[in-house]
Amino acid sequence: MTKFIAKRLGISLVILLLGSALLYILTVNSGDPLQDLRESNSPNRENLIRQRTLNMRLDVPWYLRYFTWLGGASKCLIGACDLGKNIAGQDVTSLVVNAAGSTLRLVVLATVLAIAIGVTLGVVSAVRQYSGFDYATTFMAFVFFSLPVFWAAVLLKNYAAIKFNNWLVDPTFSPVTIVVTALIAAFVLQAAMGGNARRRLITFAASAVVFAGVMFYFDAVTWFRYPSIGLPIYILGVLGAGVLVLSMTSGFDNKRVRNAVALTAVVAIGGYAAVRGLLMESPSTPLLLLCGLAGLVVAFLAGWFLGGFSRKQAVIASFVLALVAAFIAISDLLLSNWSGYLKLQSRPIPTIGSVTPNFTAGYWGHTIDTLTHLLLPTIVLTLVSIASYTRYTRASMLDVLNQDYIRTARSKGISEGKVVTRHALRNSMIPLATIVAFDFAGLIAGAVVTETVFGWQGMGNLFRQGLLQIDPNPVMGFYLVTGTAAVFMNMIADIAYAFLDPRISR
Amino acid sequence: MKFRSKGAAVLGLALSSALMLGACTSGQDPETTPEPGTSDSATMQTSESAPTETGGTTGCLQDVGITETTDGQVSFTAGPGNWSGYNSVTSATYSTYNSVIANQMFSGFVYFGTDGTICEDKDFGSLEVVSEDPLQVKYTISDAAVWSDGTPVTINDFLLDYTAQNPEWLVPGYANGKDEKAEPLFDHVSNSFAADAPEGPEGEVGAKEFTVTFANKNPDYKLIVTAPLPAHVAAKQSGLEPDALAKAILDRDAETVKKVAKFWNTGWAYNPGELPDLAQTPSSGRYILKEGGWQADTALTLVANDKYWGKPAGMKNMIFRFIDDAQMAQALQNGDVQVISPQATVDTVAQLKNIGESVKVDTNQTLTWEHIDFNFRDTNEFSDAKGGLALREAFALCVPRQSIVDSLIKPINPDAVVMNARERFPFQDDYADVVKASYDGRYDAVDIEAAKAKIAESGVATPVNVRIGYRAGNQRRAETVAAIQASCKDAGFNVTDNSSADFFEKDLVNGDYEVALFAWAGSGQIASGQNIYSTGLPQNYGEYSNKDVDAAWKTLAGSLDKTVQEEQVKVIEKLLWDTLYGLPIYAHPGVVAYDSRVENVRPTSGQDGVSWNGSQWVVK
Repeated sequence: MTKFIAKRLGISLVILLLGSALLYILTVNSGDPLQDLRESNSPNRENLIRQRTLNMRLDVPWYLRYFTWLGGASKCLIGACDLGKNIAGQDVTSLVVNAAGSTLRLVVLATVLAIAIGVTLGVVSAVRQYSGFDYATTFMAFVFFSLPVFWAAVLLKNYAAIKFNNWLVDPTFSPVTIVVTALIAAFVLQAAMGGNARRRLITFAASAVVFAGVMFYFDAVTWFRYPSIGLPIYILGVLGAGVLVLSMTSGFDNKRVRNAVALTAVVAIGGYAAVRGLLMESPSTPLLLLCGLAGLVVAFLAGWFLGGFSRKQAVIASFVLALVAAFIAISDLLLSNWSGYLKLQSRPIPTIGSVTPNFTAGYWGHTIDTLTHLLLPTIVLTLVSIASYTRYTRASMLDVLNQDYIRTARSKGISEGKVVTRHALRNSMIPLATIVAFDFAGLIAGAVVTETVFGWQGMGNLFRQGLLQIDPNPVMGFYLVTGTAAVFMNMIADIAYAFLDPRISR
Repeated sequence: MKFRSKGAAVLGLALSSALMLGACTSGQDPETTPEPGTSDSATMQTSESAPTETGGTTGCLQDVGITETTDGQVSFTAGPGNWSGYNSVTSATYSTYNSVIANQMFSGFVYFGTDGTICEDKDFGSLEVVSEDPLQVKYTISDAAVWSDGTPVTINDFLLDYTAQNPEWLVPGYANGKDEKAEPLFDHVSNSFAADAPEGPEGEVGAKEFTVTFANKNPDYKLIVTAPLPAHVAAKQSGLEPDALAKAILDRDAETVKKVAKFWNTGWAYNPGELPDLAQTPSSGRYILKEGGWQADTALTLVANDKYWGKPAGMKNMIFRFIDDAQMAQALQNGDVQVISPQATVDTVAQLKNIGESVKVDTNQTLTWEHIDFNFRDTNEFSDAKGGLALREAFALCVPRQSIVDSLIKPINPDAVVMNARERFPFQDDYADVVKASYDGRYDAVDIEAAKAKIAESGVATPVNVRIGYRAGNQRRAETVAAIQASCKDAGFNVTDNSSADFFEKDLVNGDYEVALFAWAGSGQIASGQNIYSTGLPQNYGEYSNKDVDAAWKTLAGSLDKTVQEEQVKVIEKLLWDTLYGLPIYAHPGVVAYDSRVENVRPTSGQDGVSWNGSQWVVK
């Protein structure tokens, strides 16, 4: 394995080197860096041309400039990167760091969401192959896949930002809105749940009532201005999550796992009740991390000591519960601070940028501010990338479901739920590992259009600007980061393969 | 093609209008003083003279009654470009985006009014011509003028500004262009101070007044001395005492001065988001950098300068956001930004107008003007050697200027008109006067029959092939050419669209065109048109030559008397019409949109952009 990795690394380095030379040649030949000055009628034009020629060393042949760049870039190996300066005299190293940070903040959440939602939809539509839900998912997936980003962004800005902010001044639902929304949501849900006509009807009716009730409640308490979860709903949520986790893992009959999960739930509830006040009053990132970590440690210990022979299952189950509990707790804290944020920011959903400039608020205010800025770009990026995950998961899941060992599992009498989650799902993830790895590498490269439309100056923008100004240094800085990421991620994918499918490492 | 010898080489683009100076000082008939704070563009553009405390005409800053700074903020976007430095006149940091921000942080003796008028900033100081031959100007800085760190603004700052333009004693042969290989020490985008006033400011170290002697009698002398950077900071950062630096400059001690170059060139430029110690970036304007106010990819926040000695800034904070043109309208609608000036296209204007009452939209005309120029090279059909004046007249008769303006410009700015002058803009007060004296309206309407007759008179066989050259990628110009094509076809011209990406580098310079279509951007200079219309000068691409025009420009460029300048402009315009240098078509439209709660937004035709009076904006 080590030899394999070393060989892969060696080849990758050579490819990176050749690629850098090629990209440099392409960039310097893609236009004239003095173009804007040549058209200028400015009296100091000659002066400007002369200065830019000096700054960008345009009087030196391109290969010498390339070697200068290569020399600086190779210092990265000893941790002293020098990627040169851009046309405005700024350090490319710091530009790249800034851009990469901005890009990661923008795309990581969207990608995680896209994977989670896409895989879930893919599994469900594979299990319910050729159902109405399957067709609907496939149809929507293709619609979103082929959606032009800039157009979707303009629509979202109009409805989810401008119109939503207008509505938020006096957030009320009309009875018609409540009825129509509830009916549509209920229809989608019954399609996903499946079953015979009677069961579907019951699901539909029940969920319609629940949705309508929730919307009526939100409307009555102006929830969108003063939202909260509060401790009672937190408790209900954690208990519900515990039940769900149990049913997804060992089932209710395994006493040991049940006890571990129950202990985790009790500690999570008790712990959160104790620290909630502190987190509202004087929050900080270390404190939050500490609380989260404490929860996870408790979950791990509970699983480890109460798990007995189901130790592994117990640890996983309580771990998952702890994560869910932490998520609900964070949501509760954020929602409880929403009305405070609204006082400072009467139009909370922005159409552009990554933070509100000149904004002073507490810890939660800034956190909410970051999230509201992430909202629209994340929705756009998620919508357009769900499709491929859904389709890949569906195909791979169907493939696995038709395998002999699934038929064997079914014939042994294992419940369908277990067959799907335990026997089919993990095996169907193997081909997906490659796609996820490539996507993560692609992530660093940024989402050029999304960045432009939402005013984020990330990696895509760095590359685009560099190319437009025929400025090779930012382009090469971009290449260095994305190229390395691609090589690295490919290797991770190979290793993940071995982990997911033990046959490969043998 | 060195462009250093002649004065007027100030930051800014080329063509100017001699009339602008006139507009500044012709305050004789105070009729209707506009309501303070009205931002009706029509009021802006008709320059009724209304003397105010600031001493200028309506084009200059008006007193809008701000007595104290309002708590709160106003945010503006000039476009997507990030801010990159406090010193915005190095070649690396010189951009529109940096300049609009620098405008809020530095004061100088003059600034541009809304119609291109050169206005004096009386708060900052005053200037006075003490001798006309040689031209000698005395500058007096207000006693109250201080940098925000308390250091007075003095001759020291202007001395450094002059030195930063690499004068003869520092870099021999650079400013006067005698040595092509001379390497500048300071990376300053301009060299006009050092070239036009070789001896620089003269006075005592640390004095509030100084004298500048100009090499030529340059009517654009007001634009030579620009807002300075703080010399005391540059000195301290380079390990010198502020007074020692000023003394070294006055003593022509090049060795000492060289120590400052490194900091001046790079010390005031920053990596994204990394503001320096704010002691290095004091302000002489109404706003100053704010601690932690730079979010690299999002915005730069300025805070009101409480040490500013004149009328205070309108809002406590002014935010410059970096937003792409295409995203501006929705950002404005959502309140993410309050004032925008996107590129004026039909779509943008329609989108902005559809937003409704919460947003006000102003369209106006800018100091950039579109025109077609003939090629006078002897091998060309339109040259005097071939078709001559008659053929040029024939072409002028078939160019549908009115319908071009109607179809391409009026949808953006309903007030747009066909432009009938080159040195004056339709929104300037003496435009009508100049046009009346120089042009009788003979090319106002298309007259195909007359054009045919003129072609016959010229003796050139039809169809006459006419290549119209312009830079590719401009839809509006493509449509202009199509309109000319359709109209001139009947007269006997076979017009072809000869656009190319390198039109300015190749076709225009080599003369591979019959008619060139492009725009000049006005800079408020009086004599820069000389470079376009005089024989053998660098911007006279069509190689037009007329002795009378040359003589008139010479008189104009050597006179400080506005009546003389005015007279010569009329002479020049008339000659250019009679010999048909080319045809002006229209002034480019501009658009500004802002949240209706923001008061005192005044669109300007000049290059400073709408934020020129940003320190007067107040959000209700």
